[in-house]
Amino acid sequence: MQNKEKRINNILGEKFTAYLFILPSLLALAVFMFWPLIRTIYLSFFSWNMIKPTKTFVGIDNYVNLFKDPLTYKVMGNTALYIIILLILNCVAPYIMSFILSMVIKKGKGFYKSVIFLPSVISLVVGSILYLWILNPISGPAAIIAKFFGLTLPIWSKTDGLVILVISLITTWKIFGYNFIVVLSGVSGISSEIIEAAKLDKVPLHRIFMDIVLPMSSATGIYVFIMTIVQGLQYVFTPIKVITQGGPDNASSNAIYNAYQEAFVLYRTGNASAFAIVTMILFVILLVLEFKYVERGVYYEN
Amino acid sequence: MKIKFTSELKWHIILILFIIVSLFPIVFAISSSFKTLNEAYSNVFGIIPNSPTINNYTEVFTRLPFFKITINTFSIAACVTLFKTITALFAAYSFVYFDFKYKNIIYFFLISTIFIPFTVTMIPNYLTISKLNLNDNLLGVILPQLSDATGIFLIRQAIRGVPPSLIEVAKLEKIGHLRIIKDILVPLVKPAIISTGIMFFINSWNEYVWPVLILKSKENFTLPLALQLFISSEGGTDFTIAMAVSVVTMIIPLVLYIIFQKYIINTFASSGIKG
Repeated sequence: MQNKEKRINNILGEKFTAYLFILPSLLALAVFMFWPLIRTIYLSFFSWNMIKPTKTFVGIDNYVNLFKDPLTYKVMGNTALYIIILLILNCVAPYIMSFILSMVIKKGKGFYKSVIFLPSVISLVVGSILYLWILNPISGPAAIIAKFFGLTLPIWSKTDGLVILVISLITTWKIFGYNFIVVLSGVSGISSEIIEAAKLDKVPLHRIFMDIVLPMSSATGIYVFIMTIVQGLQYVFTPIKVITQGGPDNASSNAIYNAYQEAFVLYRTGNASAFAIVTMILFVILLVLEFKYVERGVYYEN
Repeated sequence: MKIKFTSELKWHIILILFIIVSLFPIVFAISSSFKTLNEAYSNVFGIIPNSPTINNYTEVFTRLPFFKITINTFSIAACVTLFKTITALFAAYSFVYFDFKYKNIIYFFLISTIFIPFTVTMIPNYLTISKLNLNDNLLGVILPQLSDATGIFLIRQAIRGVPPSLIEVAKLEKIGHLRIIKDILVPLVKPAIISTGIMFFINSWNEYVWPVLILKSKENFTLPLALQLFISSEGGTDFTIAMAVSVVTMIIPLVLYIIFQKYIINTFASSGIKG
């Protein structure tokens, strides 16, 4: 009897410790992540400017306006373009490079790994300012090289489309290394016997890549795919803010920057909140779609 | 045999070219920061300056409270790192070694914060910080960053690699949880803790979005905010000074990376494999 009581006490004590250890993280994330999420949903139904003492309830007007505003479609179009470019540069390219590094070449793997990751630790503000001058169309090093070949660089920061490409390239300088390391670990996890057998059978490299490597590392691939979109779009914010402030005429703005601009430049809290919520819903849909349709066919390494 | 060698050589050449392009900005910044403004424009590609100068660095100190700015950046990064690492370690320990109600739901909720874009949290957090009167205060930057789901995930991955029998034996010996963590677990998962901590430190050191909303006066700036003052798309007279600030901003993360690169690469590599 006494023993049983002791056991119960012990279990209760253990439960208490378990929650106690989680509490700091849970509290911090609840106060600065989940509670803000709820408040942003709430704010998206009001018209407010962050200063006025009263908020005006407007129902779903902010959302209706958002879908009526041609700017929304422009910004979402830009966002899609950013996503496509970021995926090619930070998902497809790291895949190919990982394949070459783990299956094709034999020497210097460690060296390549550490050097390719290196720019990932540098501030994106530094990256933005460096590329601003390296790609300066008049006096930068890129312009000098172009001049040598008789070419002139376009004023990319003022050119629609091109500005998105350059900002994506700057962001890629920051995130490529990280994605590459993650993909490489997935690709290196594939048993080398299978690859060697395929090589002996003279299967061409691109077939090995498409038919063996890609399906066998798809769990990692999906992770990098999602993170490139979710984190990449947020990373892009820094070069936009530092270099173009969304310009020219919102040609470089994306979903993240536009919500920031609505909130802290134009002080339209309701619009900003509605835009932020729509962005998050798109992230969540993406996540669910991934899990539903792609995850089923996933081959889990180990 | 010979064919194989040349095909491998071809890839080495491509990789080396890739590395040259990706490291060029770093070399360009360091070398420009030691050039006079004239030379920076006339001798763009010279890696070693013809007439090296440290004027750009001294100029930064006369224009800005640069020492204070560096200390600010360090203090914020150190506090954020300490809090995030410790909260993550305890949460991860609890998720691996305890069984309790709603464990999986709580874990899922914590990890799902990775998918909340910062635009969703920025307005309410800004209002909270303003209400606490922490605008233009380093604490206002630190406070919303006391915990981080990525850290919980990474440290949990590492702890799961520790043989459970070790911890069970310790429990039978009636060693308290704090001592188990301090004396048994931490030494075993040290590489993961160090690299998670370094990742937090570097991210916070480089952070721009949140500090730019909170910090307004130059004495309270961090390095990325100070750097922003020297930006003009036309190049201009501040070009070499901006390069000096860039070098100071990137030197700490680079040194940390070079010292701990093995740990960092291994921990990041494990982040992709879902648990």
